[in-house]
Amino acid sequence: MRVQLNPIVKKDLQVTARSMRFSWGLFAYEAVVALAFLLGLSSIQSSVDGYYGDGNIYQELINLFPVLAIAQVCIVSLIVPVMTASSISGEKERQTFDIMMTTCMSPLSIVFGKVSSAVLRVLFYVMGSLPVMALSFVVGGLSWSVLFYFVLAVIVLSVFAGSIGILCSSLCRRSISAVILTFVMYFVLNILTFCPLFVYLFGSWEEESMGECLLPLLFNPNVFFEEFFMQVMTGESILGSTGESNFIKTEVGYLTYCFTYGKVWVFLSAGCILLLAFLFMLIAAWRIDPLSAAAERKPAKKKSK
Amino acid sequence: MLYINNLTKKYGAFTAVRQLSLHIPEGDLFGFVGPNGAGKTTTIRMVCGLLRATSGSIKIGNIKGAVGSKEMKRMIGYVPDFFGVYDNLKVREYMDMYGSMYGMYARETAKLADDLLELVNLSDKKEVYVDTLSRGMKQRLCVARALLHNPKLLLLDEPSSGLDPRARVEMKELLKNLHSMGKTILISSHILSELSEMCTSIGIMNHGQLITAGRIEEIMYQLSGGKRIHIQISSEMETAVRILKEHAGVVLESVMENEVIITNSGTDEEISALIGALLQNKVILTGFYKEEGNLESLFMQLTGGGEPS
Repeated sequence: MRVQLNPIVKKDLQVTARSMRFSWGLFAYEAVVALAFLLGLSSIQSSVDGYYGDGNIYQELINLFPVLAIAQVCIVSLIVPVMTASSISGEKERQTFDIMMTTCMSPLSIVFGKVSSAVLRVLFYVMGSLPVMALSFVVGGLSWSVLFYFVLAVIVLSVFAGSIGILCSSLCRRSISAVILTFVMYFVLNILTFCPLFVYLFGSWEEESMGECLLPLLFNPNVFFEEFFMQVMTGESILGSTGESNFIKTEVGYLTYCFTYGKVWVFLSAGCILLLAFLFMLIAAWRIDPLSAAAERKPAKKKSK
Repeated sequence: MLYINNLTKKYGAFTAVRQLSLHIPEGDLFGFVGPNGAGKTTTIRMVCGLLRATSGSIKIGNIKGAVGSKEMKRMIGYVPDFFGVYDNLKVREYMDMYGSMYGMYARETAKLADDLLELVNLSDKKEVYVDTLSRGMKQRLCVARALLHNPKLLLLDEPSSGLDPRARVEMKELLKNLHSMGKTILISSHILSELSEMCTSIGIMNHGQLITAGRIEEIMYQLSGGKRIHIQISSEMETAVRILKEHAGVVLESVMENEVIITNSGTDEEISALIGALLQNKVILTGFYKEEGNLESLFMQLTGGGEPS
C-alpha cells in the first residue's frame, strides 16, 4: 500500500520550521505557560500559607494542572483559527492557489492538509510545554495517562477551531476578514448551543423536565473541555452529579439521561465536535472547488499583475 | 490533442467566451491572440479546470474523464501569467512538493526535477530559495514544475509578460525546445512577433469569439486572397505590365518606376511560369519576392485595430 504524507502538511512544516516567526511563537507560548505556572504556584502558596491553609503545598499542586491546561487551551483556541483562517485566503493572496488547484490534489485533501498542518504546529507548542505541565504531575499525584488525554482533548479542540478557520478562509478573499469572521463564528456557535438551555431557564423553567435542551451542548467545545476537566480532576460531571448518572430520569429527556451517564458525555461530545469539524471542512472543500456551484456564484475578479 | 466544442462562459449577462470550437493537433504549438478581455485567459482556465464552463465540452486526447478529473489534470501542465511562490522553500523542495501533489514518489520526483531544472537552465539553483529567484527564473521554474508529471498538453498564459528581453528570449528558446520534443503547447501572448516566430498555428479571439484559427500561413493566405508579389524590373516595363495583365489569376496592384506589385492566387508552379514568360519576352528582372504577411497586421485587420494583450 502506498502511504504518502499530505504534500501541504510536509511543505507547511518545512516552511514553518525554518521561519523565525515559529521560533518566536514557540518562545512566546512557553513564556505564557511558564507565567501561568508561576502565577498559579504563587496563588497556591498564598492559599496554603493563609488562615485556612494547612501549610502542605504538595496536596494543592494538583490544581496547577487545570490552570496550565486552561491557559494552553485559551492560547490554542486563539492560534489555530488564525493559522487556518489565513491558509486558503493566504494562498489566494500569494497567488499560489490556482496552481495548487490544477494538481491532482482534491479540494478536500487540500483542506485536510491545511487543518492538519495547523494542528501539528500547535502540537509542537503543546509538546514544548509538557515539561512545565509535568511539574504538576510529578508532585500533584496525577497519572501520565491524564496528560495523554489532555493532548487528545487539545487535538479535538484544535481540529474544531481549525475547521471553523478553514471554512471562513474559503468564504473570504482577505486573510484579515477570514480571521475576524472565524472568531465571530466561534463565538456565535458557542452561544447557539446554549440557546435551548436559555430558553428553558428563562421561559419554561416551571416545567418539570428539561427535555433534550442540553444536547446541543455536545457540540460546544468549551463545555467539552470543562467536562473533560471535571471528569479528570473529580470524576464528576459539570452537568450534575448523582452517582453514575448525572440526572434523575424525570429531570431530563431520555437521550440526555443516557448521554450524561458516567463518562459518555466526554466521548460523545468529542465525536460530535469532530463530526461538526468534518462538516465544516466538507463545506470549505466545496467552496474552494473551482468547478463547484459555489465557485460559480463568486464574482469574477480581474487579476492584479 | 485538445478538442474544444461550443465552449461558452457567461458571467450573468456578460458572455466572456461564446461558442468557442477549436482543435489543436498533437505536437502543435498553438498561439492564442486577442485584445484585453477577448476571453483567452478564461478559455485557458476552463481547460485547466479552474473555471466552470457554462456550456460546451473540452476533451484532451483520449481521456474520458471530465474537466477537473485527476486523469485530465495529469494531462495538463499549466503556467499562469502571474504566480506566487512560498517563502523559505528551496527550488528542489518546490519541485518535490508539486511532484507529491501529482502522487509521485520523492525519488522519482528528484530524478525528474534534476532533468527538468537542467532543461530550464536552473540546475545550479537547486538549493536556492524560490522567493530569491528573478522573475524570469521563476517563470522557467514554473515551466519545469508544469512539466514534472509529464503532461501531454502545456498551457501557458502570457508566460513572457513582465519579463526582460533576455528572459523573453530564454523563454522562447525553452518553448521551441519543448515543441521539438513533441509537446503540444497552447500559449497566449501579447508579443505577436514572438508568437509568429514560434507558433505553428494561431487562434485569434475578440469579444469572446474565436475569429479564426489555423496555420499562420494559411490564415495569411485566406485573408490576403492570394500571394502578394513584388517584381523589380529594370527594362521593358510596358511589356511586363502587358504580360502580367494577360496572365490569368494575376491582379495588378500597383505599377511604379522599377517595381510592379501583383497579387497571385495561383500555385507556385503558375508563378514560376509567369516569371518564365517575363524572361522569354526579354524583361529584365532585378528582384522578385513574395511579401510575408506579419501577425501584427493580420491581428489588426481581424480585430479592427484592437489592442493586443
